[in-house]
Amino acid sequence: MLDRVPIVGDLLDAGADDRVFDALLAAGPVVVAALALLGRGIVTTALAAGYVAVFALYAVAKGVGLVDYRRQ
Amino acid sequence: MSETRATVGRDLGRMLEAFGALPTVSAVVALAWGEFYAVPALLLSGAIPYLVGRGLVRRCADAPDPGKLHGMMIAAFGWFTVALFGMLPFLLIAWTVHLDPGFLGAPDLQGRAASTLGAFRNPLNGLFESMSGFTGTGLTMTDDESALPHVLQWWRTFSEWIGGVGVIVLTTAVLARPGSGSLTLYESEARSERIHPSVVSTVRTIWWIFLLFTFLSICILWLAGMPAWDAINHAMTGLATGGFSVTDNSIATYDSAAIEYALWPVMILGSIAFPIHYLMLRGDLRNVYADLQTRWVFGSFALGTVALVAMLVANGTYDGVAAALRYGGFQFVSAMSCTGFQSAPVGDWSAMAQLTLSGGMVVGAAAGSTAGGVKLIRLLTLLKGTAYRIRGVFYPASAVRRFRLDGRVLTDAEASQEFEEAAIVAFLWALFLALGAGVLLAVVPESYTLENVVFEIASTQGNVGLSTGITGPDMSPVAKATFLFNMWIGRLEIIPVLVALRALLTREAT
Repeated sequence: MLDRVPIVGDLLDAGADDRVFDALLAAGPVVVAALALLGRGIVTTALAAGYVAVFALYAVAKGVGLVDYRRQ
Repeated sequence: MSETRATVGRDLGRMLEAFGALPTVSAVVALAWGEFYAVPALLLSGAIPYLVGRGLVRRCADAPDPGKLHGMMIAAFGWFTVALFGMLPFLLIAWTVHLDPGFLGAPDLQGRAASTLGAFRNPLNGLFESMSGFTGTGLTMTDDESALPHVLQWWRTFSEWIGGVGVIVLTTAVLARPGSGSLTLYESEARSERIHPSVVSTVRTIWWIFLLFTFLSICILWLAGMPAWDAINHAMTGLATGGFSVTDNSIATYDSAAIEYALWPVMILGSIAFPIHYLMLRGDLRNVYADLQTRWVFGSFALGTVALVAMLVANGTYDGVAAALRYGGFQFVSAMSCTGFQSAPVGDWSAMAQLTLSGGMVVGAAAGSTAGGVKLIRLLTLLKGTAYRIRGVFYPASAVRRFRLDGRVLTDAEASQEFEEAAIVAFLWALFLALGAGVLLAVVPESYTLENVVFEIASTQGNVGLSTGITGPDMSPVAKATFLFNMWIGRLEIIPVLVALRALLTREAT
């Protein structure tokens, strides 16, 4: 659905052609808003840590060939 | 109107149209923080460049697409114009608070807050701050950044974030049509490598990467202990290798090793070229060591850190290796990545330590990244080219030789062209550093040493932002003008500015 939003759609259409990274990009504003509005707590800490961990682990897994990077 | 003027005017107009959205969008930040008095100033700051841009585009609608000369002129004048209009939020908000129109409810600031904001009633200070922001320099005219209204903290951050990727990259991403001379403009903004065959796709991918890394950096800094607002601002300025802060004493304010080490990956991400980020995100992690520049980014950061830490320990600046690594490592990465975050009083360090940082600031990081400086690839071209020339003396004249650089095999003619380009930029860089240092020596108080002056001008021209304390609102107008010029030429790697000034002064091309 986001693909149809002007500018956002163009942006998601660009990039590394990867659904996980696209999802992280789309979730970014929500995560940052949660950190700013909800403050420091277990949930927000887990959210931020999860965001960083998913990015790092997925990038490494993709780099060593554990996942297929092509968008289906 | 000549064709050249029309082409330059039309594309400057397009740039200003896109630029007009930035202060307008920033009004949301003013609303979120309850700084309603700043909203009219921001809307006006967006409307003025938009209307000027619209007028230029209409007047020059039929102009031909830009060539190489136009591209350089558009880049040079475009960056100056954007800095000029970027001054408006500083100027208008400072005057709004000073004049305090009753219906806007402007705050009654006292003490340092009043003097910090009051400095921006002087347009030269506003222009300095704006140029420093958009060029990603990070030197400031503020006394106390934490005393600024949140919306101006944001505007400083936003200017560095946009400037880190490039004003033309922004305009191209939003407005350009394929085949409309975008490549010429893209290359004029100190960029050469493309990610995709199409420039428009390339700049959109650059924004995709930049946004993703921004969210990632915010999370990293927040997890390290920064408050959310600080994390947002420092992530944006750190990734853009800009270095503006929302605190009075930059990163030293936090006195936190965790935050300093958390900023390392943010600054390093900003130091690596976007095409390499793209390849790594596509799964090709070999580029960390296979790409010449990326390998040297890590290598030179490591070598510089080791050298600086050794100096700090030997001079007794810090008691142990751990403290020297914490401050020395952070400051070297901050200097060579051209970020300019400060965690230690570098002006008090030994002359050798300051000159080591100056060396890092002059070289800078990878071409095609957000970092400033001469760029590693040029240094490597000069080093390898010099060795190639010297070795050539030992070969017979008929020998067929190939110059290898970054996996490419170049003919003699191609090698000469690369070598010449790198030598010209390096020469001009040194020349303008020397000229800037000469002017600065004549106007700064005598308490500042030669190494202080060299450090400050290297920081300015490399778009770094580390300071020995020379830069401030009380600096002479001559020094401010010198810094403005050095920031401008540094961001565009000098040549486009010289071409534009020549065209302007000789009227030959206009």
